[in-house]
Amino acid sequence: MTSVLKTIAAALLAATAFCAHANAETVLRLDESPVGELDPAKASDYADSILMFNLYDTLVIPKQGQPGYDPFLAASFESADGKTYTFKLRTDVKFQSGHPLTADDVVFSFDRMMKLGQGLSYLFENVEKAAAIDASTVKFTLKTVYAPFISALTRLPIVDKALVLQNLAEGEGDMKDWGQAYLSTHTAGTGAYTVVSHNPQEETVMAKNADYFLKVPAVAPDTVRLRYGLEAATVRTLIAQGEHEISSQWLPPEVLKSLAADGAQLLTEKGTTEFYIKLNTTKPPFDDLECRLAVTYAFDYESGVKMVAVSDQVSQGSPATGALPVGMLGALGGEPLKRDVEKAKEHLAKCKYKPEDMKVELTWIGEVPLEERFALLMQANFAEIGIQAEVRKLPWALFSEQVSKPENTPNISQVFVNTMSGDPDTLLYSMYHSSAAGTWMSPEYLKDAEVDALLEKGRTTLDEAERAKVYEAANKRLIALAPSIFAQDQTAVFAASNKVSVPALSDPAKAFALAGFGFNFRLMEMKQ
Amino acid sequence: MSPFFRLLAKRLGTSLIVLIGVSLLIFAIARVIPGDPARIALGPNATAEAVLALREKLHLDASFLTQYGYFLADLARGDLGISLYTNRPVMTDIAQFLPATLELVLVSGLMMVAIGLPLGILSARRRGTWVDHTIRLVTMLGVSAPAFVWAVVLMLAFSYFLKIFPIAGRLSDSITVPSMTGFMLIDTLLAGNLRAFADAVWHLILPAFALALSGIGQAARLVRSNMVETYERPYIEMAEAYGFPEKRIARRYAFRPSLIPSLTIIGLDFAAMLGSAFLVEAVYAWPGLSRYGVAVILRKDLNAIVGTVLIISAMFLIVNIIVDILVSIINPRIRLSQRAS
Repeated sequence: MTSVLKTIAAALLAATAFCAHANAETVLRLDESPVGELDPAKASDYADSILMFNLYDTLVIPKQGQPGYDPFLAASFESADGKTYTFKLRTDVKFQSGHPLTADDVVFSFDRMMKLGQGLSYLFENVEKAAAIDASTVKFTLKTVYAPFISALTRLPIVDKALVLQNLAEGEGDMKDWGQAYLSTHTAGTGAYTVVSHNPQEETVMAKNADYFLKVPAVAPDTVRLRYGLEAATVRTLIAQGEHEISSQWLPPEVLKSLAADGAQLLTEKGTTEFYIKLNTTKPPFDDLECRLAVTYAFDYESGVKMVAVSDQVSQGSPATGALPVGMLGALGGEPLKRDVEKAKEHLAKCKYKPEDMKVELTWIGEVPLEERFALLMQANFAEIGIQAEVRKLPWALFSEQVSKPENTPNISQVFVNTMSGDPDTLLYSMYHSSAAGTWMSPEYLKDAEVDALLEKGRTTLDEAERAKVYEAANKRLIALAPSIFAQDQTAVFAASNKVSVPALSDPAKAFALAGFGFNFRLMEMKQ
Repeated sequence: MSPFFRLLAKRLGTSLIVLIGVSLLIFAIARVIPGDPARIALGPNATAEAVLALREKLHLDASFLTQYGYFLADLARGDLGISLYTNRPVMTDIAQFLPATLELVLVSGLMMVAIGLPLGILSARRRGTWVDHTIRLVTMLGVSAPAFVWAVVLMLAFSYFLKIFPIAGRLSDSITVPSMTGFMLIDTLLAGNLRAFADAVWHLILPAFALALSGIGQAARLVRSNMVETYERPYIEMAEAYGFPEKRIARRYAFRPSLIPSLTIIGLDFAAMLGSAFLVEAVYAWPGLSRYGVAVILRKDLNAIVGTVLIISAMFLIVNIIVDILVSIINPRIRLSQRAS
């Protein structure tokens, strides 16, 4: 009997040791809505960005807790005239393949991105060429002075040229497919994490890169599972059961609220995205400025923020002060935009169209159910000043096709726009410069010489303080012209279990002004 | 030619015609969905040159018939093109995602037959009693609520509150099994990993049951009503008058004739599950073909839409052929009618 008990005790001890070993491996599980794109030259949405920032590195990264950019793969950079930029590369960086990082890799990464013309390649349209001066020096030559260039480099991930060239698939020219087939399933970066497996419909599994040049802290997750397309109910159950650590930002406020009530922490990312209600300035009634001003005053901003509140402290929206999210260069301080029904009526009285003759088409994007709530809020707000609006659901594909012609563009459409590099230029130029009209970002078709001039000046002004003034002026001019209702600054809210700590998404002093950059897994801490 | 092979040849011939019709139809419908597939694939910020190049590569500016010609030529080589959603060949995607759905649907089908038929038989044999009423009520519930409602309800009950079954996926994160067939139950057995096999079964039960519930209800109700009708027939009365045991009457004289119409409907239900598995796959994060099909439709991924619909249609036709064959085995009159024709 004693020997049996001893055997059982020994087995239990062995099992305990096994469990302790198993627990030593930390796993972070998070999810995102769409499929994650592994090819860094095609990265554009949030899931792609999370992958890109962990598998690849860039020459510069945003400063933590403050505006500006720090060299990263670059040891230093300089520009005498704002047209040429010279970067000295770090010499201690190696790709995951073991190849050392060289200036050729930077030039190849730039050329590849421009050749494919996808993802965020448009951020580099003003760059004429990149050239390797020597093994560790690279020079970018711009077509004209372009102040947002450094911020754009946060979106130029550096790819291992030698590895890609070894894995070219069928295609035209010397570069064949530019490694597209290979990079859609493999990584060729210097990043802190490497790909273990990638099922585009299920999940991407990543593991720490043991040879990372900055060394990944031991407390950072050993394995990361980025899951795709989970239903809100599934995420809700998974987190509650301790089988999932961080939700996507796309959960409805009610689900976030119930998770918070269960003890989940709420992580937030601010200052990169704003919610715009866009008015087609080419069609009646919003071709009349007075009508546009009437609806901007009629909209109930406060109710909009309350509608997306998760708790007393956290909301998926915060009051906007203008065309740029609070905290961004050029954002206006002071009072947030407020509803004023009397002013709305005054402007409506001056409008050349009578409210009873107006038939406003108010659309919401079918893939973003939250927008339906805003559509109904607006319908009620506008009815109070006598404007009847017809709410219509519009699939994204149809919306992006319709906006290519002003006559097909709805009177009102709703879009969340996120700055791709943290610079105000990527928001305002693409939305309000007259040359940019007719895309999903610019269904307003605004044509205003003063706005155009200010946005062009913003691109060529290198002094930050001066640039801030230019964008503030553009911001004020846009409020006066009212091409959009600046409904609210969006706050991305993520529910997370208490097994993980994410300083970049919970402490403003450690936050980054770049969407998705807070999901650098090497900066997270797993709690055993 | 024997009547059996004549029936098979006839069914295969009509199936081929149906497949060609489906391919033409879906090819046309996919091109009517709003939005430029090249623009959707490359993203809203892609350059105009990149969009034009992709349109050219996909022959999107050619006439409908020319595009269909390219499609048929590629299909003859077993090439369904590249998916713009996953950036991989559509055949690779289908090969990866189809086994997951097939496994789910096959187990659901088994549940439908293994639970639905006995319930129907029991209900018919105990017609008019509390057993019959209870089964009819329960099966009515199964039929009246869609699979995704059951998926959420079952998840809440058995995963969230009772914690008996896992919430999502095909296998626990801690277990890895090399993929050989894509069928997790088979791969785990081939790997000789019984713990993984048990884990795969554990993950499969809830989604398969959620998907099967409607079919179980349908099968039970159908078998019951057909059997109750058969019980009214004079030959049953005669069998009872001869004093045959009740079980024998039920199995041999009431159930078998009732099975023929039921089998046809069960076959259709089974095939329809291939398409309707989407919501169950979505709730249980099941990486199957139905979920893939919906995702590619939303992204107007033309090659993947056509490929997915063709595969699901082919599966539908195969199931129907199997049902026809089974029915002809059970009912010799159908088989012999081929000889007469």
